[in-house]
Amino acid sequence: MHPRKLLRIARWEVTKNAGGVDRRTAAVAVGALLLLGVLAPAIAGSGVAVDQGLYRVGVAADNPYHPVAAGDDTFAVRDPDPEALSQGDIDLLITGSNPVTVRAASDAKGRAAAAEFRSAVESYNDAQLGREGENETAAFPVSVTLEYESRSDSGGATAGGGGDSGGDTAAGGGAGGGGGGAGGDADDGAVSPGSGGDSGGSAAADAGGAGGVLGGLGSDSGSTTNPSDLAPPFPFESLVLAFVFIVPLNFLIQAYGSTFLSERLNRRGELLLVSPVTRLDIIAGKTLPYFLGAMALEAAIAVGLTYLATGSLGGLVSVLAVTPLVLLFLAATFLGAMFARSFKELTFLTVTITVTLTSYAFVPAIFTNAGPVALISPLTVVVRTLQGQAVPLADFAFSTLPPLLTAAVLFGLGAGLYREEDLFAQRSVPLKLLDALAGPVRKRWHVGAVTALLIPFVFVLELLAVAFLFALGELSIPLVLVAVAVIEEVAKSLHVYASFEHSRFERTVRTGLVVGAISGVGFFLAEKLTAIAQAVGLDAVPTGEAALQTGLIQGANPLVLLVASLVLPLLLHVVTAAISAVGASRTRRAYLAALAVAIVVHLAYNLVVLGAVVGGV
Amino acid sequence: MSDLRFSPRATVAKRDLASLRSEKTIVLALLIQLFIAAFSSFLVVGLTSLYEPSSVQGGGVDIGVSGEAREELVAAADEVDGVVTSTYTDADTARAQFRSGRLDAVLVGEYADTGDGSQVAVTATVPDGNVQTTLVVVQLRSVLTQLERDERADRTEHLQFEPLALPAEANASPYFGFTYTVLVPLLLFLPPFISGSVAVDTLTEEFERGTLELLRVAPVSLTDIVDAKAAAMILLAPVQAGVWLLLLAVNGITVGSPLALLVMVAAIATLLVGLGLGLGLVTRDRRQAQLLYSVLALLVFAVAALLPEHPATTVARLAVGSATSGTLAHVVGFAALAVAGAVVVRAYAGRVDVESLS
Repeated sequence: MHPRKLLRIARWEVTKNAGGVDRRTAAVAVGALLLLGVLAPAIAGSGVAVDQGLYRVGVAADNPYHPVAAGDDTFAVRDPDPEALSQGDIDLLITGSNPVTVRAASDAKGRAAAAEFRSAVESYNDAQLGREGENETAAFPVSVTLEYESRSDSGGATAGGGGDSGGDTAAGGGAGGGGGGAGGDADDGAVSPGSGGDSGGSAAADAGGAGGVLGGLGSDSGSTTNPSDLAPPFPFESLVLAFVFIVPLNFLIQAYGSTFLSERLNRRGELLLVSPVTRLDIIAGKTLPYFLGAMALEAAIAVGLTYLATGSLGGLVSVLAVTPLVLLFLAATFLGAMFARSFKELTFLTVTITVTLTSYAFVPAIFTNAGPVALISPLTVVVRTLQGQAVPLADFAFSTLPPLLTAAVLFGLGAGLYREEDLFAQRSVPLKLLDALAGPVRKRWHVGAVTALLIPFVFVLELLAVAFLFALGELSIPLVLVAVAVIEEVAKSLHVYASFEHSRFERTVRTGLVVGAISGVGFFLAEKLTAIAQAVGLDAVPTGEAALQTGLIQGANPLVLLVASLVLPLLLHVVTAAISAVGASRTRRAYLAALAVAIVVHLAYNLVVLGAVVGGV
Repeated sequence: MSDLRFSPRATVAKRDLASLRSEKTIVLALLIQLFIAAFSSFLVVGLTSLYEPSSVQGGGVDIGVSGEAREELVAAADEVDGVVTSTYTDADTARAQFRSGRLDAVLVGEYADTGDGSQVAVTATVPDGNVQTTLVVVQLRSVLTQLERDERADRTEHLQFEPLALPAEANASPYFGFTYTVLVPLLLFLPPFISGSVAVDTLTEEFERGTLELLRVAPVSLTDIVDAKAAAMILLAPVQAGVWLLLLAVNGITVGSPLALLVMVAAIATLLVGLGLGLGLVTRDRRQAQLLYSVLALLVFAVAALLPEHPATTVARLAVGSATSGTLAHVVGFAALAVAGAVVVRAYAGRVDVESLS
């Protein structure tokens, strides 16, 4: 690495390439975004109601239920014609007032319309009773104070920040006026709300004017509301945050991918390659401007959001938490640009990257209030910081280290391809992937090293699988085990197969066994290292209810058996890796078959271990 | 028209489609769409199972009830499915049970005098920081709104507005609305968007590789090339949309007016592909064209909210079978807009100085 050369390439990238995004383009893009900003209030005002007029309700204008349907955009009001119902021209027919007769069409749509109408009547009642002049206590005879209480012993530490301040976001921010009125007269009822002493609460109160979603970011959990305003914890802010932080990255990687692929078209990159700079200089130099640009953008967003949510400057933790995401986006795009044969292919790869990484950042963050699972995504750290919670160092490391290391691995694989013979070769993406994996393998022990390097990748994928399957409840355990077995076996054997395909080793059973065993040992050693790191990280996370989830991770990476049985996992990894390696040493079909066998063995082992653990606890 | 198969346009179009096929990128595109659909469905199924515990089997919520108003609370809870109550005379006993994990939540109801009458002040204690919290709070809300209805009924004489009686509960799929208002529009809008993006690539790639030079010596005009590329990309979108509609039908989700939907998809694809090719012709550089394409497509989609009906609403209404004449007018409007857009882009392509291309 030569800092001066690196910086010069970075400067070229800015002046020649990024400068290539000429003023006209920049002006149009900025203009379009400004126009979007200007129009945003009007767009929000007109209400993007996708369910507008979804159900057709037949109700007479003098029926007391008429205003219910007329006041709700979901319903289109029609004439109460029984004929129309039987012909399918309306979905719901409302006749009579006391008692009301609701006749729904006999199909699924009719039933959905009836259910929707029932909840519309509920909100209509509440809205009518909430108007001025009504007797408050008769209209809203029940007031609720919701208290979140931690049941785990270490609760003192976590409750300090009000773990569930997201709980009242919708009620506090969304219901705004209505909730405020009811809250005011019942203040005396709420003597000591919020067992969790929300430090963020007071800060949010004065920033409440920031309004909408952001105002709710720090709202406290103890507020008193009506039963219908009771909002279950839904981290709406995670959704908005994911959007705010990630959307700019998607634009950025378009340009970033283009710059590397243009080097590969017409052998343009050859000039740089033959110049007296290392390929690391080239890659780092070309990446630096994009990285800095992205970080500047994300920092501005983080500081702005922190200011809106708490009214003070800050956001350093948020910026640090987003850094691995930025790097992951760039690294994945870089590898994609190394793989792609054409711009078309790059577009598809970029979309794949966008979708995968967005869900990686987003899905766990939905469960921000759900303990350790949420921490899989670095965005959770951002959300919690904005809520005024302190994020322990171990938690921070748990959510940021895996993506950081994965980004490093992806950059490493891509850098291996940044040489004359690979850069300008037109090969399909799967073959390129094999090239990348076989690249670093020169000696047998290299196989183990590559396996170890792939561990962060395995880790991230497994976490993603946990996050995805987590919502399925009971069913998730076997599914996660299957996912884990597949991911780990592929990670242990794919580069072995690639090495055989690239004739790095002799195609004999003996070599297969040896190489497979090395791969298994590499996996075992690296996994043990992460398991220790994980033990530290998960230690600080309240287990209790979430024991199931941590149990899953432990069952997958045999953390439970930490020291007691190091032998069994080692044996497992060596055996399964050897099985697939023997297959890999023959043909593609043999590899796939052997891989399937290895996965089954792995799965069987996991089931037995999990059974033993569950039985033992 | 007789020699359509051998016309230069068909050749260029076929070549573009063939390169998509050989790169197998179209497979990837379909996989991405499938993933997005699965992803959003996962979100909804996951969240719905949290929000409507009755939609998944089992899992009752144990609530400890205490305070003066405990009998009213128990009566309200009896009318809610999936809730088991146990009464405690002493609130602290209930809280102790909660802390030891034997109860999922504690409700303490006291009568509080608030000036113009008494109110039931309920303090709900729920566990902090786990998924079950959501489920518990949802169930508590059902119990408490039921309590509110009961209490209101006792006090109607103090009310000017008499609350409307609730219709009977309907046994509806909680995913019905989502399927038609989110999933179907998503599946139908993704193909046009991707088509537009690929159109940018096919054109700018010719510029950047310098292969347009070679096409120039062939007996085709730039308009022919643009036509062919547009045709290939526009055709792909309704085909993919059609496949999605078929798959939805196989899964028991019937979609109304498929023809109008396909026309809508084709119109939007034409607009976006036109936008992409236009940008490609103007900038002749992939990075700029793609950047502008994404920004402008986003803008167009957002600005469409100012229409009486957002395109997503139009699609949802058509799919669910609640189309009005206004909905059909929107489809026709988009089709007209698409034709106009195509004419403009073609006219522009005709005026580009071929000699200046490099």
